Formats: sequence, C-alpha cells, structure tokens
Amino acid sequence: MNGLGFRQIWLIASNTFLEAVRQKFFNSLLFIAIALIASSTFFQQFDFGTGELKFIADFGFGALFFFGSILAITVTTQLFFNEIENRTALTMLAKPVHKFSFLLGKLLGVQLLMLAFVLLLCLLLAGILYWRESELLSRMDPELFSDGRLLRYSDILLFGFLQWLKFGLLSAITLFVASFSNTNIYTIIVSFSILVVCQLQYIARDAYADMEQGVGRFFVQGIGLIFPNFQLFNVGDQLLFAQNEALPATNLLQITLYACVYIAAFATLAQLSFRRREI
Amino acid sequence: MSQSAISIKNLTKDFSVGMSGVKLRAVDDLNLDVQDNEIFGLLGPNGSGKSTTIKILLGLLEPSVGECTIYGKASASVEARRSVGFLPEAPYFYRYLSGRELVRYYARLCGVAKAELSTAVDSVIELVGMKDAAHRRVGTYSKGMLQRIGLAQAIVHDPQLVILDEPTAGVDPLGSTAIADIIRELKSQGKTILLSSHLLAQIEGLCDRVAILHGGKLVREGRIDELVTPEEVDSFVVEGLTGEGRAAVQDAIKAGGGRLLRVEKPRLSLDAIFLNEVQKREIEAAPEESKGEDAT
Repeated sequence: MNGLGFRQIWLIASNTFLEAVRQKFFNSLLFIAIALIASSTFFQQFDFGTGELKFIADFGFGALFFFGSILAITVTTQLFFNEIENRTALTMLAKPVHKFSFLLGKLLGVQLLMLAFVLLLCLLLAGILYWRESELLSRMDPELFSDGRLLRYSDILLFGFLQWLKFGLLSAITLFVASFSNTNIYTIIVSFSILVVCQLQYIARDAYADMEQGVGRFFVQGIGLIFPNFQLFNVGDQLLFAQNEALPATNLLQITLYACVYIAAFATLAQLSFRRREI
Repeated sequence: MSQSAISIKNLTKDFSVGMSGVKLRAVDDLNLDVQDNEIFGLLGPNGSGKSTTIKILLGLLEPSVGECTIYGKASASVEARRSVGFLPEAPYFYRYLSGRELVRYYARLCGVAKAELSTAVDSVIELVGMKDAAHRRVGTYSKGMLQRIGLAQAIVHDPQLVILDEPTAGVDPLGSTAIADIIRELKSQGKTILLSSHLLAQIEGLCDRVAILHGGKLVREGRIDELVTPEEVDSFVVEGLTGEGRAAVQDAIKAGGGRLLRVEKPRLSLDAIFLNEVQKREIEAAPEESKGEDAT
C-alpha cells in the first residue's frame, strides 16, 4: 500500500469518526454511561470504607465494558450499512479507492470513536475515585499509607487500553459479519451472540483441558481458537489497588499482540467477503 | 487511430435470484466502444442493464463473462479508476458536510495534491454553478443542487472519462439544461462523457452517439443524426402557402417522382416552450431585481 492508500484510510476514518460523533445514539449512550458512573458515588451512604473504592471501580469498569460493547457493535453496524444503504459507498468505491482501504477506514474510524469514549469514561472514573479516595484518606491514619495513595491511577488507563483493544476486536468481528450480511439487525444479533461466546469461551477452554483426545476435544479446541478469549482483557481485579502487583509488561504485550492478531485476521476475513459483495 | 476511452467486449452479467440458484441475466453479450472526447448515451428503459454495465465498468460488480477496459486498462483495477469520474443515479452524500467540504473530501480521496486542492475545488464549484451555495450543508440542497455538487465531486480530480448515471433524473427542465451545458463544457475541455438516461429528448440534443439497450442486449447503436434522420424522407417547413400554392406543391412532388406522405403543423416540444417562457420571465425580472438592489 502506498502513501495515498494510507491517506485514504485516514480520510475515511476521520470522516467516519465525524459521522459517528454526530449520531444521537453515541451521544445518548455516552450520557447514560457518564451518568451511571457518576451515580456510583451515591452509594457512599452505605459507608463501605475502602471497599467503596473497589465498588466504584467495579461499577465503572462494568459500565465501560457494557456500554462500550453495545457501542462497538451498533456503531460499526450502523456506519457500515449507512454507507451501503445510502449508496455513499458507491460514490467512494468508484474512486481509485481499494475496498480494503474502505473497510480499514471504517474500522479505524470506529476505533477513534471508541478511544474517545474510553478516555472520557476512564478520566471520569479516575476523577471520582480520586475524590472519594482523598475523602477516605482524610479520615484515616496517614501513617498507614506510606505511599500516600490507595490506588494506582495509571492502572485505570491500562484497563481502558485493554478494553479499547477488546472493542477493536469486537468491531472487527462485527465488520466481518456485516461484510456478508444484508441487514443491520442480523449483523447486530450475530455480533452480540459472538460477544457472548467470546466472553464465555474460557468454559470451552476448561472443558477441553479435561477431555480425552477425540472429535469432541478437537471441536471444542477449534471453538477456543476461532473465537478470541475476552476474559484475557478482564484484568480489572488484579489492577488498581496499590497493594496488588502491577500487570507485568510482558503480559500487557502478549494481550496486545493477541488482540492485534485477531483484529488482523477478522479484518482480512471481512475483506475476502466484502471483495465479492455487489455494491 | 486513437485508443478507445471505453471498450466493452462480450460482456454478460448474471445475478443469482434467491436460494434456488436461478439466474437473472442483466447484461447479455454486450459489445461497445466509446471513443475519446465524445458524448456517448447509454439509453434504455428501466431494467435494461444500463446501471449494471456502468457498475461493472467501475469495478463495483464483477462480470460473469467478458471484459471491459478504460483507456486500455482493465476497468476493475484501481489504476483505471484514476482517470474516471462518476456521478451515481440520485446521489446521496454526507449530509453534515458543506458542499465545499464534500468536494474537498473526494478530491483528497482521489489524491489531488495539497497545493492544487483549493484551486481544483473552487474551479469545479464555479463550473457547476454552486459558488453561492457551497458553504451550505449538503442536507439542505435541492435535488438539482445535489446533482450539481455530485457532478463537481465527479470531476474535481480532472478525470479524462466522466460517467453519469441518469444525471437529470428528477431534475426540473431548467436544472437539466444547466447540467447539459456543463456536459458540453466538459466535452469542449476534451473529456469523454458516458451518460445513461431514459429521458430521450434530453439525450437527443446532447450526445454524439448512442446505444440503445433492451433486456440487457444492444438493440441499436450509432450517431444520433444517422438514427433519427431517415435518408429517404425530406421535410419542407413553409409559411403563408395558399390553397392553390399547396396544390401546386403537391403536383410538383408528384411530377418529381415523390409521394406526399403527410401534411402536418410543426410542433414545438413542451420542454422548449417551458424553457422559453421561464427564461423570458427571468430576463424580464432581472432588471427589476437589480433596481431593487440599487435602491437598497
């Protein structure tokens, strides 16, 4: 791919991002997610002590995963089908633009949107945690906390980064489904089903670990390979609290590589399917 | 001999219908050559295979059989599309962009150099007569304006071949005339234009050559003059002829070995009457408007 190819991908991505942030759906979902995370502070009346911070963090991470997954699937579907149904794809692909550039541009545009979404929620969560933590520390004996803080705030961004990778993977899967499907609703239902399979994929992995060699084991092993394991990205429990060990850099690198390989694989599958699609 | 702008050889396209594997033939063994710097009309009723042919030319559909080239390059290749501009039927663009932003976006997609970008965008916007509305959002445009801005995005990268799918569909006669003028201007700049339409009256005065498709097959092809002018028939348009004079003319025709087929009053086309009346009123209204502007 030459310089023009990369420029085209970036142009399509930035236009996709612009289109997405103008959608009411994105803004509504962002508003609800912010409201939900902000509402976690109301639970302070139960006086959890330091457990309150864990509760807020879990609540925030949960909201990030839940709304992020909805957003990644629906926005990818909507932006892809908008181009096909409104026939703007026809105008674009009649230009000297490769179909692969079009798909990558769409994927990158959604990733930019998800980055904005993740960053916003992570910063909000960090702000709320810092406020609650400061309040808790002011009530406790400072001698107990030699390091000064209870939480490692960089871990929030780390968790956000891993979730962003997961959303990228989910968008790539959705794009692959959209590349051969004829309707929005089919794409959304199939993608959500795949999300559930990927979330629960560890059960299949546990199952084939206990199975004898044979067709059954081969089948379950195949499922474990085809569908990415989303549990790898859920490291929130190990992170955040200063007393826990930080995520080793090699693990972070492995997870990043794992996501990139699967994103590349699903993007390639999407291209193979989209190449033959009649626009 | 110069290279053909478009060459279509034995083109056939079948679509699968449903799960049963039944094939629907949209284009059937089509052979066409479009020469450089001509306006070529692809005519035919709805479903005759015009748009399918265009989509295959643009690499948006794969042919079942046959091959197409654009200036000698396989039409499905990205390289061939560098010299092509395309306006789809009933175009729809990103509604949140202004006309200028839209044309700029497509110019950048086509690789127009940064240094030439503003000049290229401004000149095509001027050419299609959208200078005053270029700052407005595309979502606020009328159908005619959409066609014009669509034409601007099609030609902003200075392609040698411009393909227009139903460029005047749904546009009023004034808008159609303006689009026809732009097409003539493009031809005068040396470009080749392939346009498809089922509005025959508009095509007649515009195209050098036409091909008529029906059921995916090529029915007729040739220069407009050759197709619409029967060699063996003449017509005289006369004014102020008396009854005796008419009889004398009839006798003269008989004596000359001819046969009077019919006598009829010449008819103007409704298009011509409409354009004439509207343009007359616009010219009359123009001085009054300018007087009003002067007064303010």
